[in-house]
Amino acid sequence: MAQSLEQQYVWRLPVRVYHWINALCVTSLFITGLYIASPILSPPIGEAVWYHQMAWFRYIHFGTAFVFIANFLFRLYWALFGDDKYGRFAGFKPWSPDWWGQPFKEQLKSYLFIKKEEPNYYGHNPLAALTHFLFVFCGTLFMMFTGLAMYGENNPGGFTDTFFGWVVLIFGSSQSMHTFHHLVAWVFPVYLILHIYAVIRHDIVNRSSVTSSIITGYKHKVEESS
Amino acid sequence: MKKETTYADIFESRGVNRRDFLKFCSLMSVYLGYASTFVPKFVHAMETKPRIPVIWLHGLECTCCTESFIRSSHPITEDIIFNMISLDYQETLSAAAGHQLEAVRKQIMKEYKGKYILAVEGNAPTKDDGVYCMINGESFTNVLKETAADALAVIAWGSCASFGCVQNAKPNPTGATPVHKIIKNKLLVNVPGCPPIAEVMTGVITHFLTFGKLPELDRLKRPKAFYGTRIHDKCYRRPFFDAGMFVESFDDEAANKGWCLYKMGCKGPTTFNSCSTVKWNGGTSFPIQAGHPCLGCSEPGFWDNGPFYTRLANVSFLGTNSNADKIGMVAVGAAAAGMAAHAVVTAIKKNRQNSETAKIEEG
Repeated sequence: MAQSLEQQYVWRLPVRVYHWINALCVTSLFITGLYIASPILSPPIGEAVWYHQMAWFRYIHFGTAFVFIANFLFRLYWALFGDDKYGRFAGFKPWSPDWWGQPFKEQLKSYLFIKKEEPNYYGHNPLAALTHFLFVFCGTLFMMFTGLAMYGENNPGGFTDTFFGWVVLIFGSSQSMHTFHHLVAWVFPVYLILHIYAVIRHDIVNRSSVTSSIITGYKHKVEESS
Repeated sequence: MKKETTYADIFESRGVNRRDFLKFCSLMSVYLGYASTFVPKFVHAMETKPRIPVIWLHGLECTCCTESFIRSSHPITEDIIFNMISLDYQETLSAAAGHQLEAVRKQIMKEYKGKYILAVEGNAPTKDDGVYCMINGESFTNVLKETAADALAVIAWGSCASFGCVQNAKPNPTGATPVHKIIKNKLLVNVPGCPPIAEVMTGVITHFLTFGKLPELDRLKRPKAFYGTRIHDKCYRRPFFDAGMFVESFDDEAANKGWCLYKMGCKGPTTFNSCSTVKWNGGTSFPIQAGHPCLGCSEPGFWDNGPFYTRLANVSFLGTNSNADKIGMVAVGAAAAGMAAHAVVTAIKKNRQNSETAKIEEG
């Protein structure tokens, strides 16, 4: 029994950098966001000016949010103009019935254990692309727009309010916009679970070194021949 | 030619001296956010402009706007306002009633066509031909449309008229509809609040009288001068918010010391109003100063963003009332359970495959 190893460079540096900055930002945003909504650890009795607990959490939340947005825009640029085979939108066409055809169905059947074969993709498989689009792309856009609209509220008539303040009209009131911002934030931990599970599973089942690929950039295909 | 009565004439006849009159003009220009150089403009307008007739309609409402309005704090504000505008039709305050009063309304609409202000308190139930609010045998929706047709401008008093308030909270049984959704092609200003602050109400009218136009409005058609900032941003308890010092229950030490009421459900951070600056009852106090969280009464749909005493709003989820965190944790739990189950099936499948290959190799 011999093993031959095929190596493929999949995730180019911009994609990997985006991934890790994004991971750090989302983690930081989620934790600080939870604190802002339900603050804990009240400082002891004293002068308010001695502490800046909520101020710091908000400061980190807003600061990280701008890094998160910049990173997202950078990734968007890379997806559109990066000429990166595995990091662009080109293959993702959910509006076309063809896209939902054979490869998608086979991947779905494989995940549902209806089919035995495990399709192996160097880039994202169609289901992964769809999940990524719904959770990360749409989720980020939603958090960006609602977040900027809320951020603009501290200075009505200012830049952020002028360009993003209209978002509040979709939700009716600022309070419901806050509620939905909070609700959609939970999309990210849900995605994290799916993401980590899928990565580890593919690593074990397909032995494609997908876990390390987001650090090294290389995926492997193990072909067994007897 | 009969000289039209101006405000200055009225002040004089009411025995208001010039000093108090000028005080009033300065106060109003400050409330409206104008520089002191604008005071002469207010004075000039008050001295020269004739009184504007106001028709004040009551729809589906509780009359709290009227109650607030007649308690406008500045001692002469109240007096001046009631003389400044000729409040010819006001169901609560008018001495006349019934057909007589309706006749007055019709007369103003005819005599001052396109020149009167329509102030609306409350909203219009539109379901079942508007039978849920009838005035003199006519549905309020029709009265509103008829009166608005020839009005110069429409002022929507209070949260009811502006956004719907409790009447159009879910499930909105009477189809209560705020004024701006019924009257679309008129100058309209929303003055939300349950009720709005008296000085805000008089301020809006004064602005209209002085400049002949509505004050600058924001996206929700509220005057920016009064609804430009959140209560939170000008709250005197804001330092406690930034410090992270919060009241945890109404009888704890933090409550006694006047810390931030954020965790008690204060809606100040999402409510645009001037309670924390203008305050109530002549600048005496406002809810947060009295130790009670803001309910967000001047925000659209504030009844549906409850409960009042928790920070996170309830969201109906699978027939239950949960908040965003509870729903999120259920979703994360479901995802984790789903993945665990998937992992188990994958392991079983892999085992079976391994044993199959082992069999083949053995065979």
